[in-house]
Formats: sequence, structure tokens, C-alpha cells
Amino acid sequence: MVIEMANSHIRNFSIIAHIDHGKSTLADRILEICHLVDKRQMQDQMLDNMELERERGITIKLNTVKLNCNYEGENYTLNLIDTPGHVDFSYEVSRSLAACEGAILVVDASQGIEAQTLANLYLAMEDDLTIIPVLNKIDLPNANVPKVKKELMDVLGFKEDEILLVSGKTGEGVKELLDEVVKKIKPPIIDKQSPLKALIFDSYFDPYKGVVLLVKIVDGIVKVKDQIKMMAMDSVFEVTEVGVHTLNYESLDVLESGMVGYICASIKDIAKVAVGDTITLANKPALEPLKGYKKMKPMVFSGIFPTESSRYDELKDALEKLKLNDASLTIEPETSAALGFGFRTGFLGLLHMDIILTRLEREFNLDTIATSPSVIYRVTLTGGETLEIDSPNKMPDKTKIVKIEEPYIYTNIIAPSEFIGPIMTLCQNKRGIFKTTDYINENRVNIHYEIPLGEIVYDFYDKLKSMTKGYASFDYELCGYKDSKLVKMDILLNGDAVDALSIIVHESMAYNKGRSIVQKLRKLIPRQNFEVPIQASIGSKIIARENIAALRKNVLAKCYGGDVSRKRKLLEKQKEGKKRMKMIGSVEVPQEAFLAVLSEDE
Amino acid sequence: MEKIRAVYIHIPFCKQICSYCDFCKFYYDKKWADEYLQALEKEIRDRYMDETISKIYIGGGTPSCLNNEELDYLFSTIKLINLAENIEFTFECNLNDITEELIDKLLANRVNRLSIGIQSFDEDNLKFLEREAYFADAESKIAMCKSKGLTNINIDLMYALEGQSIRTLKKDLKLFLKLDVPHISTYSLMIEPNTKLAVKKVQAISEDLDAKMYDIIRKTLKNAGYDHYEVSNFAKPGYESKHNLTYWNNEEYYGFGLGASGYTFQIRYTNTRSLTKYIGGNYVMEKEILGEKEMMDYELILGLRKTKGINLKHFYDKFNVNLQNQYPVDELVKAGDLIYEDGNIFINPDKLYIMNEILIKLV
Repeated sequence: MVIEMANSHIRNFSIIAHIDHGKSTLADRILEICHLVDKRQMQDQMLDNMELERERGITIKLNTVKLNCNYEGENYTLNLIDTPGHVDFSYEVSRSLAACEGAILVVDASQGIEAQTLANLYLAMEDDLTIIPVLNKIDLPNANVPKVKKELMDVLGFKEDEILLVSGKTGEGVKELLDEVVKKIKPPIIDKQSPLKALIFDSYFDPYKGVVLLVKIVDGIVKVKDQIKMMAMDSVFEVTEVGVHTLNYESLDVLESGMVGYICASIKDIAKVAVGDTITLANKPALEPLKGYKKMKPMVFSGIFPTESSRYDELKDALEKLKLNDASLTIEPETSAALGFGFRTGFLGLLHMDIILTRLEREFNLDTIATSPSVIYRVTLTGGETLEIDSPNKMPDKTKIVKIEEPYIYTNIIAPSEFIGPIMTLCQNKRGIFKTTDYINENRVNIHYEIPLGEIVYDFYDKLKSMTKGYASFDYELCGYKDSKLVKMDILLNGDAVDALSIIVHESMAYNKGRSIVQKLRKLIPRQNFEVPIQASIGSKIIARENIAALRKNVLAKCYGGDVSRKRKLLEKQKEGKKRMKMIGSVEVPQEAFLAVLSEDE
Repeated sequence: MEKIRAVYIHIPFCKQICSYCDFCKFYYDKKWADEYLQALEKEIRDRYMDETISKIYIGGGTPSCLNNEELDYLFSTIKLINLAENIEFTFECNLNDITEELIDKLLANRVNRLSIGIQSFDEDNLKFLEREAYFADAESKIAMCKSKGLTNINIDLMYALEGQSIRTLKKDLKLFLKLDVPHISTYSLMIEPNTKLAVKKVQAISEDLDAKMYDIIRKTLKNAGYDHYEVSNFAKPGYESKHNLTYWNNEEYYGFGLGASGYTFQIRYTNTRSLTKYIGGNYVMEKEILGEKEMMDYELILGLRKTKGINLKHFYDKFNVNLQNQYPVDELVKAGDLIYEDGNIFINPDKLYIMNEILIKLV
């Protein structure tokens, strides 16, 4: 036995916060105080491994770390389980919270409660966690401790004396916070005798170890050579290694009830593992899995294509590599007449999509075109059959459809009250249904709407941010499907539909949207040797039309003083330009035209 | 390879900088001009291989902005070159610079063709181009040249200028025709980087209007008896520019002087634009060494600028391959882009103004 301490000296906890409220900086200070790293090795935001995470100041993948801490002369093991802060990853947040007995709720002392503060807190409360409320960044000149304290008391019901004041930056109050963690958060309940039950709260792919499962051992013990069984996935593996994370792997002989650690079992494919699943022993299985497992379903779908069609294989490799570490990413091959070979890719949300596209560009040096994000529509056919449609091009013919339903979300939009008017207008324009507003204090409100997810995936968040000068924060949860008058709109070039530009749009918005797209395309597509009509259509009905006039001039009228090398270079350049064009029927369309139409809105 | 028969000499000085010009030029300065002419002499001495030259063109800049002594120096330098009996000797000048004295000097030095950059007589156009030109002045000066026997004259016409209308173009064409010279070059304005126009962010006129103007020019000049022999050039029979045909026939030529381009011994080169480097004897800035394929590409790119196009037999004689085997000519003939007639391949006249589209498919 290598276990040095009684399990009553273990504390499992998370830190939850709205984005930018200083969660990772606070985690850094905690690591430092527990002497896991000294000041010299300290790299900002130690737990954020990915370059992208550091840069964006957000946590995407979970990390967990075992810390040692002394309280009143006794040594305690603190397992800090980091959580992502964004709504796209709320399922991951909820799983990592399920591995804890308590959570530190961090609120920026200058910003106050924000949308994800609430979302994450509600998730923690669902798991009955002990919450330690903390005001962070108290060193900032614009920190307003009394005001934000009052928010926490009024809105979240905390008592004044339980709210701690810290500065992740200076370290002030952090030791006291750790003492509070030991004092207030309950140790895990230990049951080493019952059959093994371990909660998988995250997994990732390690090139040497295969899939690494991050687990909390609820009941029983697990050791190397055990045959383990994934209860939901119903698969069996042999354990090759168990241990805990300090900043690296620390291999152990066994993991016991109450501990948080990792298990490796020569698992090659992350798809064989589901976060939220329960691990038990194959020869002595638990009767019931732990509660709360749900299959993660992507919410937002987009076609991803390489800008150079010759790089399809590279894109395939890259997506497969990303998928190794990201079980929520789904990919299936897709072919577009306009964009060539690519993948229909499913994401948890828009941030998730954005992160994947950025990683493709950064880590794999791949330029991609992504088609307009789509949600999953439920289509009921005349025969009574129901289909789930994740791409406009899979939409059945209008005549066969009885009804279309689309997913709605319920919003938390927290903003200064002066912005209520513009925010409501924005939500209204996005077909939102007003529910209610809650006042957080006299100056700030939480506005609740039900809005189609399909409207949010375009530019809702950007618009919200810009119209509130960055003051609004936004979070949502899905609240079910509703009937909608949706139509598929096609864009036709010279009479041919461009599959990559088809969208599903609400009937009432089709006309404006169609007009805006054809106008944009008219500006972006260069003249051709013949006149090209650009049309937006719903079924056979044309709702908008523009013409690209025929090319009239492409000649170097003047041949400068015999400098003909220059003329040849110009032709070469034009030829290169042509190569980058995609042929849609007989029309040459520059990549930029797709990008521009797909990237901006209205 | 055929011997070099043509020489271009660049004089990079001007007394006024036109808004559209991206040629290599400097404000005229006596000290620089003297040093430059000496360097030019040195370049010719260094590089010229004693061929007999039948076409010479002195361009700029503004060669006519040189003073008497400088011109004498320049012409004494040109004496280093063997000029053929039937030489075509063109000298570019500014209308303002034309005097009896200048013409006499040119004639005395075997100049027999004049190229005058008029561009337009319209007040708004000239203001836009930052130039001057008065019709009465042009009329009397050209008459004077002709009276002295200097009849082979080209005048430049610019169009597609900001704010220009079809009406002002037609007016210009009428006046140009009235001058009754045997050669007219027409240029549609291109806003080149590093020109005053580009700095002022002037926009090109619509390509529809531009193309319409081109059509009007073609029709008007054709009706007046000019042959449209190259994309931008019109001449009375027998008055085609022999020097410029050197370029379009893809023949070799010397380019001497600052920023000048040349094509000698299968190398296309461009001289430096830095006066100090040039005076220091560092002439060439860029070289393009041509292989067989490049030479053939140039033959097409340049040859198809001529309305008569390329003679297939001539092509075969030059490269020892059939043009049709080397390039997708037949396909483009079928598409109506090219026309095959009497052993020549040329661009469909209706598509001359979009000929780059055709060249891209060819080479």
C-alpha cells in the first residue's frame, strides 16, 4: 500500500467561474502555495496546456492535479479538477463537478456576476457540491468589493461572512482559501469493499499510453492487470497503469475509493470511451452505474473543406488526430460540388467549432472553408416518419414535409440595465420569445429569452458584445424543439444551385437574407466571359436576383517601353488566380467569395 | 538566332511629372543629366556588340528636355552605333519642346520619326493628367515638322480617364485626326502603383465605359484610313512602327539607359532604376534567362497583340515545332477565341480587349 494518508484527508474540488474572472491565475497561485511548482518554473496558467488555451485565457480540456497542503499541522491531499468555462462544454463541466465534493466559485470583484457564473453554479448545485464563494482580483483599482458581495448575497443567497477575498495575481487570501477548502469541503465517502465504481470525467489521447482516463474512484479499488468494464459502452480492457497527476504522471500501484487519478488500459480509440461512463471490474461488476451519464451530442454542424482540394488527406488526418482528444467532435465525409471533398463536422457549439478551425490552421497549417453552421432540425414527413437533418442539403423536398421543428435555447444574458432596449431588439430580430428579466442589482439585469439555436449560431454573440460595448455576458441551455416555418434557400449561379451556399432559414427572413447574399456575391465574383445571373430561390421560386455583367476588358493596353517580362508575370499571376477559383458549372468563383458569404452576416 | 537589329535608349528626365506616369524618371537637373549621359555612353560602349541597327528609339522620360549641348553629347554617343542605311530613328518629344532648332538638330542626326505625347486636348483631361497641350500649337508645330520633311509622326492618345465622357473622347479623336499624322497610339489609363494617381487613390472608370471607348476609337480610326495593327496602335499603310514591331515579333533588342528593358542573347533584362548604381556601372537589375518554352510563350503573348497574329510557318521555322502541337490552339479556334486564316492565327477582333483571358488558356 502506497497510500500515505487516511482518506478523510482528501479533498476533491473544482474552481468554477465566468470566462476571464481569473480562474487559471488563481489555480497557478494554488499550485505555487502547495509547492508543486516554484516561482522559477512557473509559467502562467500551468493547467492550460494547449497553446490556444493560454492565448484565449480559457480552458478547453480538463486537467486535474494532486496537491499537498498543510492545515493545522496535518497534511491533506487536495485534488484540483479544472473545468472549462464555456457553455459549449457544459457537459464536461458537469462531469468534472460530479467528481468533486466542493467547488470554489470565483467572481471578479470588478465585473460581478456574469452569465457563466450562474450557469456553472447551477451545475455545481445539481451535484450538491459545497460552494466556497470567492471575490477575485481585489487588487484591481476598479474592484468594488461591497457591491459584488451584495450581488452574491442578493442573487445567489450567500452570507456575507462566507465570501472570501483573494487576489490570484498577488496571492493575497489564497492560503486562507485553501484552509477553507479543507475546513468546509467534505472528504469523499470511502467504500473500499463494494465492487469498483469509477466515474470517467475526462479522457485524452497520449501518444505513448493510448487513451488516458481521468477518473474518480467512488467505490472499491483498481489496480494494474484488472479487467475493467465500461458500463455504458459495454467494453472490457486490461489496466496497464494507474496513478495520479501532479504536473506529470505519478504512477501508483492502486487507486482506491475517494481518490482522483488516471487509468490507462491500452485503449487505442477514444470513441470507445465515454465521459460520464462508469468503470467497474469485469469479474466483479457493480450492479448499478453511477448516475448522470448522458451521451454527448453535437449541436452545431458545418461542412469543412480544404481550400486546396489536394490537401483533403491532410485534413482527414488532422481531424482524426483532433478527434483522438475530443470525443465530442464528430466527422463524416461530405462531398460538395462547389467545394470538393471535405467533412460534415459536428460540434458542441460555436466556440468549439471556432477552436477546431483555429487548431487546424495553427497546429496543422491547413486553410479551410467552413459552410454556414447548421443545427439539427427535426423534420416530419408526410408518411409520419421523423428525420434529423444536420445539413441544408439533406433537407427533403418541400412537398414531402409536414412540419419542421428546430431547437430552442433559454438564455441568460447579463448586462447593465441601460442596454435592455437594444438587447431585446436583437433577441426579437433573432425570433426570440421574451420570458422574463431578473434584476441582479439596481443596475444589472439577467434577460431570459427563448431563441432558436439556429439564430444564435450566426452572429448573435458578436452583435450582443458590440451593442453592449462588451458589457453583456451570455449563456444558454437547450430548452427543446418548437415548430417553425423554415425553408431551404438555395443560391443559383448561372442557373446551377451552389450546394455549399444553401441555408435553412425562417420564411420571414428568407427574402432579406437572400437579397443580401446575392448582392454580396455580385461584388465578389469577378466578371466572366458571359453574363451570369445570381439568384436566391426557395424551391422553384426566385426571391432575389442580381447579374454579373460580362467581362469587357482584360488586356494590357500599353506594352511599356519593351518591358515584356512584366507582362508575362502579370499573365502568370492571373493564371494563378484562376487556379484558385472553383468552377461552379461554367462560372469561376474565387474562394474568397465563399469565405466572405460564409463568414459574415447581414 | 537572328542578329540584334533594334536599340532602345532611355532618357529618364522630365521637367514636369505627369500624374499617371510610372516610367523611370527624375526632375531634370543639369548636373545629373551630364553624369547620366556619360554613364549611358559607357553602358553602350560596354555592352553593344557592333551589330548593324535598323531601328532605334529614344524614349523617356522626356528626351526633348535635354539642352543643346546634352543633345549633341547624346547624338555623338549614338555615333558609336552602326546605323543601317534604311534606319527608322524615332525620337520622343514633348509638344512644348518642339522648336525649329530642335527639329533641325534631330534631322541633322538622322532622326526620321517623331513620337509626340499629346494624350488629349480636353482641359479637364489635361488637368487630371497634369499635362499641357493646345491644339493650335500642335497644329502649327506638326505642320512645321512636315514642311521640313519630318512626316513620319506618331501622337499618343489617352482615354478611360476619370470623369471622361464619350463626348470628350469623340472631340479628341476629331482633333487628332485633323492633325493628319500617319500613326496614332492609344492608351487606356492604367492606375499604376507609385504614381500620383495611385497616391490620390483615383479609381479606374467602369470597364464597360472603357470597352465602349475602345470600340469608338477602333471604329473612328478605321474609318479615317488607319489600320488597327496592334492592340493599341493604328497606322496609315506603311507607317507601322518598325521599332515597336520588334517587341511584338519577339525579336531581340538592346535596351540602354536607366530602367530600360532589353532582350539580348536569349536573356530578357531590366536595368536598374537607381541613378547612382547606374552611374557606378551596375546596369542590370533583373534577368530572365529564357528556355525554349519561355521563348515560345513570349512569341504567343506578344505576337497575338498584332491583329494579324502569328504566322504558323514562321513559328515553325523559328522553333521547329508546330504551334498547334504545342498549344491548345484548335480548341480555342473552335471556341471562337482565335481565328485561323491564310496561315495565320490571330485573336478574334471582338475579343481583343479581353485577350488576357485567351492567353491564360494558351500559355
